[in-house]
Amino acid sequence: MLIKEFQEKITNVPNYLKSWVKTFTGGLTLFCLLSLLILPFLSQNLNFTHVFLRVFTLAMIYSIFAASWDFLTGISGQISFGHAIFFGIAGYICAYLISYLGYPIWIAIIMGALGAVLAGFFIGIPLLRLKGPYLALGTLAFSLVFLKLFLMGSLSDIFFGSEGISALPKLSKDPVVEYLILLILMIITFICIIQISKSKFGTILKSIRDDETGAEASGINTTRFKVYAFMLSALFAGIAGSCYALFITAVNPTGNYGTVISFFAILMASLGGLTTITGAALGAFFFILVEYFLIVAGAADSVYLIFAVILIVVVRFSKQGILKPLLERIKDLWDVLLGR
Amino acid sequence: MGIILEVKNLTKKFGGLTAVNDFSFEIKRGEFIGLIGPNGAGKTTVFNLISGLEKPNSGSIRFDGMDITGLRPYKIVNKGVARTFQIVRSFKYLTLLQNISVSCQSHRGKEASKGVGIDKYASSILASVGLVDKARIPPVILPHGDLRKLQIGKALGTNPELLLLDEPFSGLSHEEQQNLTDLIVKLNDDGLTIFMTGHVLRELMTLVPRVIAMHQGKFIIDGTPQEVANNKIVLEAYLGKGSEEFA
Repeated sequence: MLIKEFQEKITNVPNYLKSWVKTFTGGLTLFCLLSLLILPFLSQNLNFTHVFLRVFTLAMIYSIFAASWDFLTGISGQISFGHAIFFGIAGYICAYLISYLGYPIWIAIIMGALGAVLAGFFIGIPLLRLKGPYLALGTLAFSLVFLKLFLMGSLSDIFFGSEGISALPKLSKDPVVEYLILLILMIITFICIIQISKSKFGTILKSIRDDETGAEASGINTTRFKVYAFMLSALFAGIAGSCYALFITAVNPTGNYGTVISFFAILMASLGGLTTITGAALGAFFFILVEYFLIVAGAADSVYLIFAVILIVVVRFSKQGILKPLLERIKDLWDVLLGR
Repeated sequence: MGIILEVKNLTKKFGGLTAVNDFSFEIKRGEFIGLIGPNGAGKTTVFNLISGLEKPNSGSIRFDGMDITGLRPYKIVNKGVARTFQIVRSFKYLTLLQNISVSCQSHRGKEASKGVGIDKYASSILASVGLVDKARIPPVILPHGDLRKLQIGKALGTNPELLLLDEPFSGLSHEEQQNLTDLIVKLNDDGLTIFMTGHVLRELMTLVPRVIAMHQGKFIIDGTPQEVANNKIVLEAYLGKGSEEFA
């Protein structure tokens, strides 16, 4: 019965895609993806491929990370202020497996992500009874504890101390290939997260978000599903974390999962629009590109200040994020231009 | 027709306040029973204890012979006890159909929907409460009466044998009340045991053949609406001391 449903869904995909592309957001998304696909081939300039392109690659890593956060907080309603922990644990496991045990890159990435899933399980369980701001604080507490563990010089034999692990290989020596790998990975993970959110399972997660008591009164084991939400979110955050470790070729306590990384996830997903998932990509690209241009323009110090202010404005005035309403305005403009 | 719910010596204290005090009663399968008492009598607490939202300090609750005292709410639902809430709650960012499909994914709901699939099953429940034309709408724009029907639909999604309705008529217009009454009576006629609370007595007393009355957490009387309405203690509870002179 399940196989038949799956077969039906697969045969529906081409039709679904055709009608999706015809919608404004679908067409726009396709346009963006095609632009991203073409971008690396626009110039052979070394500065372009080794510096500018890598900004986009970084944005794609953060897109996956922010989307994983949106899945946990926006779709499942479990507020996470400590998402850096999944990002960092995956990075460290991946780095350790490659550096110390000689694992091949892709196995290490997957193992890193699975390590994050385990962390999601062990973090989700004690935090189950907490709700709202208390849950957020609990996640923050966990990430701070782990940060301390890794920073402690006395434990540096086990946890590598403040130097961490370095000299990691990259996903590919060619930054264009690295870019394309991450582009494909980003597309795949986004499709996965969006499909999970739209499924019956995703509907249960949303019901827990909207009214946990009501979900329990509907016969749902909310505890179990909350843990599932943590584990799935951690999986995708872990994929991003492993890729990040290989992107900067090192892991260390400040670079990989200082609390500011948790803030990034919240900022990017909120900017783009909570619960939308695709908004996370918008927010990530927006943040990383604006940060890059601010740094190039010499205003590196004001980056965090500017974004903190943007976040405050977004939270105060627009729960939907600023990018989605902006898109709606653009769509209206597009319709007007086309004379509808 | 056995006993479907057996409550014995149920007690619940919140700090110094005893909300439910040594409360006992039985309900037979297929019955339609009202639970009345003035505001604060402890009716919702009794429901919370039966449905698992609260754990009693002492006493026992048996459903269909099984001890369900203190179990987690979702487990009690999956044994066959569903409830609605006094203050209407819904999954506000889901469509009506999705609201119901969530309860159809409980163990009992999945069993019941095995043949037709969850979406069709949820649709049929939505139709039975008269909301199928609003299937793709989120609850935000629904009138109060429709929200109460939605709640019942969500409860029905779990394929219950016993339905607890907590003040289902409060806030409804006369027409909405009549609408809802017809639905509830039909559910009972189809075999669902219904246990309903209310503190506005007019509709309830004309509707149910048997009433349990409580006041300040304690059991007063269990009988026909006429017996209960003429009971001294019930009258005092609602109207104050000395009111039996006015009965």
